[in-house]
Amino acid sequence: MFSYMASIYRCRFFWMSLVKMDLRTRYRRSILGLGWSLLHPIAMTTILCFVFHRIFKVSAEEYAPTLMAGLAFWTYFQGVTLQGCSTFFLAESYIRQYPSPLAIFPLRTALGAGIHFLMALGVAIVLASYTLGIPNPLALLSLVPTLALLFLLGWGLALLAGIATVLFQDSEHLATVGFQILFYATPIIYTDETIRANNLTWLMHYNPLVAFLNLLRDPLIKHQAPSWHTYGAATATVLIVAGLAFGLLYRVQRRFIFYL
Amino acid sequence: MARIHLDNVGLTFRVRPHGRITFKESVIRRIRQMFTSTRTPKMKVRALQNINLDIHDGERLGIIGHNGAGKSTLLKLLAGVYPPTRGRRVVEGRISSLFEIALGFELDATGKENIAYRGYLQGETRRSILAKMGAIEEFSELGNFLNMPVRYYSAGMMVRLAFSIATAINPEILLIDEVLTAGDLAFQDKARQRMQDMMAKARLIVLVSHDLLSLHKMCNKAIWMDHGRIRQAGSVKEVVTAYAGSVKQQAAPPAPSTAPDSSTAAA
Repeated sequence: MFSYMASIYRCRFFWMSLVKMDLRTRYRRSILGLGWSLLHPIAMTTILCFVFHRIFKVSAEEYAPTLMAGLAFWTYFQGVTLQGCSTFFLAESYIRQYPSPLAIFPLRTALGAGIHFLMALGVAIVLASYTLGIPNPLALLSLVPTLALLFLLGWGLALLAGIATVLFQDSEHLATVGFQILFYATPIIYTDETIRANNLTWLMHYNPLVAFLNLLRDPLIKHQAPSWHTYGAATATVLIVAGLAFGLLYRVQRRFIFYL
Repeated sequence: MARIHLDNVGLTFRVRPHGRITFKESVIRRIRQMFTSTRTPKMKVRALQNINLDIHDGERLGIIGHNGAGKSTLLKLLAGVYPPTRGRRVVEGRISSLFEIALGFELDATGKENIAYRGYLQGETRRSILAKMGAIEEFSELGNFLNMPVRYYSAGMMVRLAFSIATAINPEILLIDEVLTAGDLAFQDKARQRMQDMMAKARLIVLVSHDLLSLHKMCNKAIWMDHGRIRQAGSVKEVVTAYAGSVKQQAAPPAPSTAPDSSTAAA
């Protein structure tokens, strides 16, 4: 376990430069640079805000940053899994040449998606400060452990998705369908009031993603640190995902090259 | 101190008859099995069998044999890419390997960036690779091309770059598949010279080649692989002669039977 982590650390320059390259190749081709990746969540927020404000009479001041934070999380969550599906195929030429710790390739995926997430989160914080006033700095500090949790979650998900796709080639297709369903079962575009008004509380209760959304929204919107209960639920989810992912990796890593 | 030791090593691939499997297929197959109770057999390919090998510092081993005899598989097993499915593999020393040409290049990155990536992957740090960058650039003789994405390189240019990196990081064990022939004559000479220099520093080299002449110059030991087994091992001269002889024998038309045909004799 520790020796595995040490071997990941030993080739840190390698995966760090891959992450750097991913970011560069992505932005070299667009004039707007980094802003380009934020275009999607910002456009979604604007459109949905307009629709909900006009049709459902939701107050935009609170809804806009809530939505932006939710979309930032969703983009990361979905992106890390779907990009994770191809992570080992992208790295095939390295895996076939040098025996290196396999977990560095999903790590590359998670770090790349993580940087986009940080930018989107930055936009959400700015938006929240603008519409709801400057947030409590202590509450914002609670985002630090949240980021660590999200990073581990992303690494685990990318690893799981990557191994699944190598074992079963249609995993990405299945994941896309799954995300479609999950998106509507997660309170990203609708608000607490709509959920309570429609007797859907049970759905929110059993959805493990709700904890992560609250970890982000509590400090931004409610100006308070999330409860221990929220942290606990999120940590449990992260531990299960990471445990599954690294357990699976441990089982398949020796024979992995034969599946690839 | 570099050493390679293979103890009765075997490698068996299980080949799925239809290539990669999807989740859908595996579910359908499971259901079908419930009714018919027949299992689709997996094809087994014995890529390597009973390989015993002991190579030490300062030895240069050449591997020869037909296509599909297991030469490249053996090399990848030495590199640690394939785990042996049987037997024991002990490799001591820092390995640098050169397999297929474009393998391990990031095509959209420039030559210089790729030098760094490959170096990092083999455990170099930012500082140590910077120190070697000049020597690698010089040895590859690629000049300004190094600022261009590798995508636009010719096969020969890629080999120059790959070989320069692989040998510059001072490996204790160097594994090379038959890629050198893609470089031009001048570079092949240079590469040979560099390998001999490495030899002087008591390094271990394993080389797969179809170029029997260069094998004489570059190696001091050879093995002949045939159907996943070592058919012959010994000095380069012995093994190459035996191999070349068997190839000639196969290439010659079957000898006409010299025994007198009794029926025609009677007529």
